[in-house]
Amino acid sequence: MRAQLKFYLVPVIILLFSMQCMAQMERERANIVEPVETFWTPTLISQATTEHLSAGNLNVTIMHSFGIATTNTIQNFFGLDNVQNVRLGLDYGITDKWTAGIGRSSLFNVVDFRTKYALVQQHTDGSKPISISIKADLGIVTQQNRQPFKDDLSTLTSAIISKKINEQVRFQLSPMYGYFSSVDTGDNNHLFSVGVGSQINLSQRFAFMAEYYPVIGTQNPNTNNAFSLGLNIQTGGHVFQLFFASTRWHLEQYTIAQNREQFWAGDFRFGFNVNRIFGL
Amino acid sequence: MNKTTFISSGFFFALLIVAAPLSGLAQSYITESGHVEFDSSVPLHSFTGVSDHLVGKITLTDSIVDFYVDVKTLKTGIDKRDNDMLRTLEAQKYPFAEFYGKIVSDFKPIDDHPQEVTVEGEFTVHGVSKQTTITGTLKKAQEGIHVEASWTLNMKDYNIEPPGILFYRVSEKIDVSISATLPPN
Repeated sequence: MRAQLKFYLVPVIILLFSMQCMAQMERERANIVEPVETFWTPTLISQATTEHLSAGNLNVTIMHSFGIATTNTIQNFFGLDNVQNVRLGLDYGITDKWTAGIGRSSLFNVVDFRTKYALVQQHTDGSKPISISIKADLGIVTQQNRQPFKDDLSTLTSAIISKKINEQVRFQLSPMYGYFSSVDTGDNNHLFSVGVGSQINLSQRFAFMAEYYPVIGTQNPNTNNAFSLGLNIQTGGHVFQLFFASTRWHLEQYTIAQNREQFWAGDFRFGFNVNRIFGL
Repeated sequence: MNKTTFISSGFFFALLIVAAPLSGLAQSYITESGHVEFDSSVPLHSFTGVSDHLVGKITLTDSIVDFYVDVKTLKTGIDKRDNDMLRTLEAQKYPFAEFYGKIVSDFKPIDDHPQEVTVEGEFTVHGVSKQTTITGTLKKAQEGIHVEASWTLNMKDYNIEPPGILFYRVSEKIDVSISATLPPN
């Protein structure tokens, strides 16, 4: 009986093999390991993220913040009559992991040079569970004043640690150190904070985002921890970010040094960022 | 061996005789690293998307041509634009762009000159299949079969809404081309 079974099996196997040769191939997803997209933009609202530009890409940013929305609401049209600060910026991807940029804020005419490098990038296959980047920013006050150049400088050094927890939730912590070469009496030259940022995707086009700057150690007098809440909108080619923020600054060192408003007491302002990436 | 067993065995041996040459002749050529690219344009600007993960199989005995690419491997040079493209193509739901058809013109495998061939079959993208005729060239080489083909697809035919950039819309016509060398399997 067993011998007979062998007789039957051999041609059947051969037939199946030959049929398989003629059949359509089984479709298999490509197994590409690449960095995950944790955030949609290199800057969340004002905090740098672990998102990096690809090599050769240029990100043009326009960041706007207006006056306090809750003061003389109607007369100032929710603060929109009082443009407080506009930062125009250019960031360029030197490599897929290294970005350098320049920007100018209208407040104090601060020109800033910045660079960011990805030490670790969370991967799609889970082999690297988090992303870590380091960032440095040098701000120079270019508004005419009576102080020497060396007193116009500020710097920001930070490490950004982020994780895409799932398709909806992304989270980051940014220990940061801000330094001002010259400060008013009573203010600190050295400031520390651990920035907290999060993005929650609502759909493929919309995402909520929030960031918080709790100052660690001595805070400057009459300043508060900055908080911002915003909405990310992805359109074809652009990312628009609409937000409410306590601070009028788009630079992290100034945010931890000079934010006087309390978000939850109603001192918030409207602002928006526009991001447009070009391939050069 | 009784009569029934004898007849059954005879039947299966006959099957063997039919099946064995089929298997032997069904020589196929397969690659997993073919090149595919598409050109898309908006006013004053155009861009190209490329992938080197085109999977293809050509079986000469039955003239079957079978190609597919995972659309997430297509790169346009700007990550943001790639993500927009994948959203437009609903890549999570429809991960492949694929063609399955037959060579309907003559192809002489012994001739090592490029030969123009016509293939007819179904091209599928965004979950929509359309009967398509594509003209390309096949060339028998030492390392296998080299294939080159190009055609134009209309996004509307595949229910793809062309993404907009400010007030402009990406052109509905997309020029697609493939190039691959398929070693014998």
